[in-house]
Amino acid sequence: MLLNRRVSQFFFPSLTPAFMIRAGCIALAAYLIFGHLLTPFWIKGNSMEPAYQNGEVNFCWKLRYLFSKPRRGDVVVIRFAGQRITLLKRVIALENEEVEFRNGRLLIDGKEQNEPYLCHPCNWTLPSRRVEPDSVYVVGDNRSGPMPNHVFGQTSLSRILGGPLW
Amino acid sequence: MVNPIRNTGKSFNPAGRVTKKIPPTGKPPMIPDRRKVKYVLIGLGLIAIGIGIFFMFFQSEEKRVKKQFRLLSEGVSKETGENIFTMDQKIKKIGSLFNDTCDMAIPAHSLSGQMTREEITGYAARGRLHLAELQLTFHDFMIAFPQEGEARVRLTARLTGRTTTGEAINEAHEIDCLLKKTEKKWMFNRIEVIEVLKK
Repeated sequence: MLLNRRVSQFFFPSLTPAFMIRAGCIALAAYLIFGHLLTPFWIKGNSMEPAYQNGEVNFCWKLRYLFSKPRRGDVVVIRFAGQRITLLKRVIALENEEVEFRNGRLLIDGKEQNEPYLCHPCNWTLPSRRVEPDSVYVVGDNRSGPMPNHVFGQTSLSRILGGPLW
Repeated sequence: MVNPIRNTGKSFNPAGRVTKKIPPTGKPPMIPDRRKVKYVLIGLGLIAIGIGIFFMFFQSEEKRVKKQFRLLSEGVSKETGENIFTMDQKIKKIGSLFNDTCDMAIPAHSLSGQMTREEITGYAARGRLHLAELQLTFHDFMIAFPQEGEARVRLTARLTGRTTTGEAINEAHEIDCLLKKTEKKWMFNRIEVIEVLKK
């Protein structure tokens, strides 16, 4: 009888002022956390494989770059006009650095870089270019497809929303 | 013998219930606080419903601009097995959304320069032949009215679908549009794709 009443109270609580205040606080906290600090996103596509698989769910930690700039190797979330559609890419070069691909190998300022996060073969060749100030150069981890089909390049730091939580 | 009923001044109370007498105060009866709160809540609820209905039926300029994008999305989208009649209707719908000429800057689809309405519809019709299915959706609208009869819209467009050869399409672009009001209708005057990632 007591259990029955408790179950009933759990699913159909009495709308007391205390309950309404509690529910309001929870709703406000959820809005602030999941709307502004840790926004959930759903990965569609396989450009970041094997680190991030198609269909996975993650959260964008918005305070990641509040006091620091992205570093080489960081995975960042890049916005378009708003925050509903974003890109997940890895930073490979920072501002004023020269970036180049030579037969699939990444060269920064002419030095070959070790990229342990890659597992797909790559044969890209891209002439050297300098990253503009207040920008970073981002590429996906899955570079197995032809270069023209892959979305990559330099983007302004102001477009970086944060980084994935894991 | 009949005993006469004496008027004792007490009310009839056979069960002998104890009732509390409320001393007369001379003031009108007060509405309890809980009932007051209930009336306030009901009032607020009715006001909220009224505001909701107002915004639902009130066509603001922003809504009119957004409607044009919804129509463009419907016109561009293609479902599997679409017949020629539907295709023709959609192409006409796309044409009706553009001004006589429209400035296009869509490098990803090799579209640039000023195009007439007929050129745009022709391009749309040819493009559809290579697609098995296509969905165009618009997100994150930022609408501004820089001057009377002009609307500038910045948004994200998402294209998903597949070609007739089975190749998947999954693209997102930031778009800057200029719409001009012609005969109480917002028409596309300029469409430009903003480069988010510069190779």
